[in-house]
Amino acid sequence: MLSPDEFDDAYDDDELRSELPDSPIASLRDLQYLYGKLYTLATAGGGDYAPYLTPDAAGDLVDTDDSLIVVRVDLSGDEPQLADDEQGAIKVTRYSADLVSKVAHSKYPAARGIDHSVTHQAGRNSDPEKLARYAKERLTKWATDGVVQNAADDHEDGSLVNALADLGEDEDVPDTIEDAVTRALDGESATALLTVQVKTEPDGEYRWPGEVDVFQAAMRARKLSKLVSKGQATESAGDAVDIVTGEATRTVGTSEDPLNYYLGKQLEKFPGLDVDEAWRTHPLSEDAAVTVMNAEPFVEACTYRTFGAKVYSLPYFFGTPTPADARELYQLLYLAVDAEDDSRVTSIERAYQREDWTVDENRLRFYVSAVMPHQMSRYDVFGETLNALLQYPSAVAVAHAETQQTEAFRGSDDRSAAFPTVDWPVFGSNTGALLGEITSGWYFGQTFPEGDDDTDASADDPRIEALVNVLSGTPISVSLLLDAYVTRILDEASHDDVDGFPSLRVSSQFAQLCALASAEGNFLTADGEQASITESPSYELRIMDEPGPEALTTDGGFAGEQKLEAFIEGTPALNNDQRCGVFLLGTLVGAVGNYQEWHEDRSTTLVDQFPVKSITTSRIKKVTQDAIEKTLTYTRQEKTRQGRNYPGTKFDYIVDRLRDRVLNPDPDDWTLEKTDLRFYYALGVTYGMNDYSPSSDESTESTEEN
Amino acid sequence: MSQESLDGWFDGEDGESDDTDAPADGNGGTGEFPRRCLSFTVRGPWGHFRRVEGNIVKQTYRIIPRTTVAGLLAAVLGIGRDEYYGLFAPDTSAVAIEPVRELRTLNMPMNTLSTANESMQSLNSRGKLSMKLPDPTKPRQQHNYEVLVEPAYRIDVALADDARYRELRSHLEAGTSHYVPSLGLSEHLAQLDYHGEFAIEPRTNDDTVSVDSAVPNAVDSVIPEPETRCQVEESPAFMAADAGGRTTRSFTAYAYNPDTGPLSVRGISAATVDGRTVVFV
Repeated sequence: MLSPDEFDDAYDDDELRSELPDSPIASLRDLQYLYGKLYTLATAGGGDYAPYLTPDAAGDLVDTDDSLIVVRVDLSGDEPQLADDEQGAIKVTRYSADLVSKVAHSKYPAARGIDHSVTHQAGRNSDPEKLARYAKERLTKWATDGVVQNAADDHEDGSLVNALADLGEDEDVPDTIEDAVTRALDGESATALLTVQVKTEPDGEYRWPGEVDVFQAAMRARKLSKLVSKGQATESAGDAVDIVTGEATRTVGTSEDPLNYYLGKQLEKFPGLDVDEAWRTHPLSEDAAVTVMNAEPFVEACTYRTFGAKVYSLPYFFGTPTPADARELYQLLYLAVDAEDDSRVTSIERAYQREDWTVDENRLRFYVSAVMPHQMSRYDVFGETLNALLQYPSAVAVAHAETQQTEAFRGSDDRSAAFPTVDWPVFGSNTGALLGEITSGWYFGQTFPEGDDDTDASADDPRIEALVNVLSGTPISVSLLLDAYVTRILDEASHDDVDGFPSLRVSSQFAQLCALASAEGNFLTADGEQASITESPSYELRIMDEPGPEALTTDGGFAGEQKLEAFIEGTPALNNDQRCGVFLLGTLVGAVGNYQEWHEDRSTTLVDQFPVKSITTSRIKKVTQDAIEKTLTYTRQEKTRQGRNYPGTKFDYIVDRLRDRVLNPDPDDWTLEKTDLRFYYALGVTYGMNDYSPSSDESTESTEEN
Repeated sequence: MSQESLDGWFDGEDGESDDTDAPADGNGGTGEFPRRCLSFTVRGPWGHFRRVEGNIVKQTYRIIPRTTVAGLLAAVLGIGRDEYYGLFAPDTSAVAIEPVRELRTLNMPMNTLSTANESMQSLNSRGKLSMKLPDPTKPRQQHNYEVLVEPAYRIDVALADDARYRELRSHLEAGTSHYVPSLGLSEHLAQLDYHGEFAIEPRTNDDTVSVDSAVPNAVDSVIPEPETRCQVEESPAFMAADAGGRTTRSFTAYAYNPDTGPLSVRGISAATVDGRTVVFV
């Protein structure tokens, strides 16, 4: 395959323009056709037969010993005969790079049957007997094949093919070939291509198949025959308009596409349930069909796996491809093919990482499709878009990285951050790494529930939905996110391996929610009371290692109270009294739980006593009473035990706010969705558990204790 | 069927082009317009317009294909399969399609019967008319259909056949139809809301127009705007009957805004209908 530089040199703009489609990329077939064109140009080159050849199929044989076995046939006399010059009937040589186009190999991908071309690829390390048989079959099987024979009949040099067939019928010839092959290989096994050379003029050269038009024409006919007869179909072809080029021409019905969206088995979609009529619903010209099939190496290079689904992420440029587009696209595809198999870099990341980027990013798009294979021929598409943009996931990545720099996730000298930040990838602030996490689906895999079937996705899997939504810039509904978050939290609570409250999980979910809300673009959608969740939070940025003015805020106030106030003010979702109430309840439960654990050495705390799943509107009053009661208990205890003198009670900055919110209106009249309540309760618990003063040791815990 | 002379139908100067197979390509439409059209909204709780690239997978177009609009209106008029393609041919009809509700899909798993040969039952196999049906006693397989959620499209349609045009108008006015209208699959029932009959006023050749409808065959003329999502899809536009059945005679690439709202397009033949800017094909 040509390197991008070689590709640029090989074709000038006019040549490219003549090969490229002259209509915009508007369907998957258009895209596959473009890929197939580029692949053909990069491997077999231009010309009528190029799309039918597979010059890369035997790529690993190039320049290896004994990799090409040639049956040499002299057709210059009255009777066809094997060559009897000093070279002999069989030549074993190296399949060198300059022979690739001459040998003109067209591989038939199925294990059975023979290759489309007279040139045939033998299996790895075939023994001499097998190679001898394949060598004979160039004459006895390929040349006598019905489709090849028909093609020969229509060709002015058809007699060359017939001469090969005639020679194969000569009883002595196969034995001679067998002996010669065995002798030439010295009894050793080999991995080789087998082909023929023919001499047609008494003083002429022996010519390769690529130099003999009738062999090429027969190859083409054999490959085309597979487009109309496969499975139940015998002759699925007719005159219609090609989906790709829009030309009225002979079209074929049972061609494949590299994503296997279209197979002859599904009779349901054919007129009269007749697969021979398949071309009426899926008309592709022969050349387009073959070109689409040639897209496979590029298509496969742009795939990765997520949640058991195979995700295709195929880059292209919006509109009608220009030569400049084609060159940029070829670079991307070449890099994808060239990448190591185990690299988990998606094509979106690869495009993002391009340093010499010169293209209009608004035009760079991706066809993204998450396919769940059940069997070879039965699978479903779980999410798909022709309109993924590089900007969408990178906007979310940038927003997420910025979110991590705000005071919600970074503490000050006086007080911890609102939420825990540890070196967990979902908390990462490296935009490049985050982009990979987002495009690979990991970003939602970490915050959404895992599939029922271990980790495999299902048809209505929110992880796939959210992934495809982000890639295509489609807003995700807030209720879907909250449902997914709460389900994951509850799953973890009921999981034996997970110990304690999943505050890291909740914290990462909230970071994600903030990132989606604040990312440039429109990534969240909600109705009614949830609309405020889609608004971007307004937390201050806190750059670490740079002492900023925010360190000077201590004017005698209590840092914990200021932090809570700032957090509530900076969070539009907490403008809602009910949501803020349940958040504060969670905060109190978390703070008391923390106190119980560290000061009272209690193994079961309020956090365990009131898990997320216990939170319903009807229980909120009871939980609130119990939590407030605990603060009074601990205040009294500290007073008697340590003789401390409180101006109020412990956690009164939470309790006072909580009283305001929870009593009005009465929780019995609350209208928030249950998942909404539960998520913000969990968020509050996380906040409360994480709220501490890092600079002071226990004896000077905070001003409230002095 | 009877057709009126095109002279009364197009406002153009030279009548219609000779090309009967394909609509004028490139910058959308012929540059000539019929004088009036009927305008209605078709909507329903669900829709599924199978994309032709798939039969194993069941993905849907976002914009109702023009061939589906033709079939829908043929159902209203009570015209049989393979009998209405001339009525909706490029030189005798014009259709503009505007999505009026945000285009949203979800995956709907459905139980289906196998249509593999071994699962088919022949009815009346020796008779003159025989047919094959899936065996209803066989177990179902579950497949995932991508369906549109609450799709709604404003359709403007002009027909050269005056009799059919009037017939369609009276059906739309009365809210009647011969066959039950649906959105793609028969189970996705459709409702038609008639808005009335409107003049088609060709827009003067502005450099850039803000187009409310989906924009056919002008993908390269759409001006990308960061705040506006623009998507593209290609679907069948015209069909013709032949001896063996029917074939698609051309496809149309639509550019559209999935969030509804206009797209800015440069140098295109648009028209004003009822105060909206639309592009016919």
